[in-house]
Amino acid sequence: MPLIDMPDFSADLLNEFASRRTERVNTPVIQPAEPFLDMAGEDLRRRIFLTENETGASLCLRPEFTIPVCLRHIETATGTPKRYSYLGEVFRQRREGAHEFYQAGIEDLGDKDIASADARAIGDATGILKALLPGRRLVLTLGDQAVFEAVVKALGLPFGWQRRLIHAFGDMAHLEALLDRLARPQPVAGLDPQITGMIASGQEAELAARIDRTMQETGYSTNASRSPAEIARRLKEKLELAETRLDGTALLLLREFLTLQLPLADAPAALAGFADAAELKLGPAIALFDARLAALANAGADLSAMTYRAAFGRPLDYYTGLVFEVTEAGSAAVLAGGGRFDRLLTLLGAKEHIPAVGFSLWLDRIEAARAKQ
Amino acid sequence: MSAVTIALPSKGRIKEETAEIFERAGLAISAVGNDRSYRGRIAGIEGVEIAYLSASEIARELANGTVDFGVTGEDLVREGMAGVDRRVEFCARLGFGHADVVVAVPEIWLDVDTMADLGDVAADFRARHGRRLAIATKYWRLTQQFFSSLHGIQLYRIVESLGATEGAPAAGQADIIVDITSTGSTLRANHLKVLSDGVILKSEACLVRARKPGHDQDQRIARIVEAVRAAL
Repeated sequence: MPLIDMPDFSADLLNEFASRRTERVNTPVIQPAEPFLDMAGEDLRRRIFLTENETGASLCLRPEFTIPVCLRHIETATGTPKRYSYLGEVFRQRREGAHEFYQAGIEDLGDKDIASADARAIGDATGILKALLPGRRLVLTLGDQAVFEAVVKALGLPFGWQRRLIHAFGDMAHLEALLDRLARPQPVAGLDPQITGMIASGQEAELAARIDRTMQETGYSTNASRSPAEIARRLKEKLELAETRLDGTALLLLREFLTLQLPLADAPAALAGFADAAELKLGPAIALFDARLAALANAGADLSAMTYRAAFGRPLDYYTGLVFEVTEAGSAAVLAGGGRFDRLLTLLGAKEHIPAVGFSLWLDRIEAARAKQ
Repeated sequence: MSAVTIALPSKGRIKEETAEIFERAGLAISAVGNDRSYRGRIAGIEGVEIAYLSASEIARELANGTVDFGVTGEDLVREGMAGVDRRVEFCARLGFGHADVVVAVPEIWLDVDTMADLGDVAADFRARHGRRLAIATKYWRLTQQFFSSLHGIQLYRIVESLGATEGAPAAGQADIIVDITSTGSTLRANHLKVLSDGVILKSEACLVRARKPGHDQDQRIARIVEAVRAAL
């Protein structure tokens, strides 16, 4: 059945998808809500339309396509690599704009050549936008979580602190709070001195046994989610991490890194300069960054319209590397957003590791931009 | 001129204590018909009606703007609507019905004392246990605001709990809870502890006004607010 409210450029879009050798897939509008809430967190609950079936299972109106497309890929088990495209309605409670609108995009699953798959996703997104908005000046902002991870690792922070900082990447307020804690470590208060003593003298197993006894006595052990060993181990780690202090120079470096924002073409030299000055070895992350840039240049991408912003990321644990957004110069409306989500498919239940990169186009905003001609 | 409606709790100590404050404020309430009627009026002010409702319905009616004032717990009002400070005004805190909405975890979680600790635990909960950290609560909105906006914790799941929430961790329905407590004794009895920075809201009974056009010019509105404030 033809949908009469589809954007008038839908046919052009589908032709673009076909000429870019993608397989168009559709997914049901009514989706199980669990995977969305599980992946994006409870905060999503007030932004989606939820309902229930008669057995009480939570359902929602499709709020986006990436998760349904990936779930479909896992179910149909047709192997990789695959390039999927989609075009359809999504439903979200938004402060501004309609609650139902069209999105389209490409998900590139299973290509092991990370740099070229990244470059292709950027090329597809910008190429399609150029075709839909001829003559407009489009600008792209690019971030890379892998570079941040490399910086944090090179600073020699304990693994627990690396994990905290990486987890907060993309959420500047949270990140700032963590940096403050690293600048001014607070001793752990309120612990039973006997327990601190046990940890100080390396009696982790004895501590776990003690926790286990208390759990038995209080009738908590039957359904306990966190085991005595897990609690004892994290307590030990917590006491160690609480003593970690990042010296002034290292903190300054980290803050300086997070303020980096420069033309993408200049980023490799700037990152190399930063690493040299800070005496940090950033290794493979930088190599991948440079390879992606080379792949973009080879594909004839307009690098002058691309900016690298070091702090740009998405604080969701399935994003792993590249993130990007495309806007029209001088406008804040994101026309295309994408990134690499190498962890998503295994989180959704895929048996093997499937690297993945993709983007989605906001068709209502593109329509508005076209109308401004 | 349409009547000003004040929604008051229909039963329990909160009903009696509200009546006492209104009495002291010179706004003595008389029941319409018999004593067990759910309608009342205020002696001495024309055009003011009292509607006795359950505490959670009062929050809902305030959100809908179908009543002008309500006396109910701040927790229920803040839980019951988005953008609460745009839609209602907390005119007076009445000094009774105290209850804190808190984040409580099993006492034996010796390593978890702050929200930052909980953030660490939530971040790798899925890797360790194959599912997200589960929170039992009836306070969906307050939990989301506190965890997501204030503490940057996104990765958890809410398990709806309509009663006996303190029992959820021991029963295996959830890992931790967000619930109200006044003395903490029920939490202690269930071997739970409140996180040191885990007080989401210090709630008490409040006189709450629905922000409605026309209230500015209405003498009765100002008079009720002033009288109640003066009685505290």
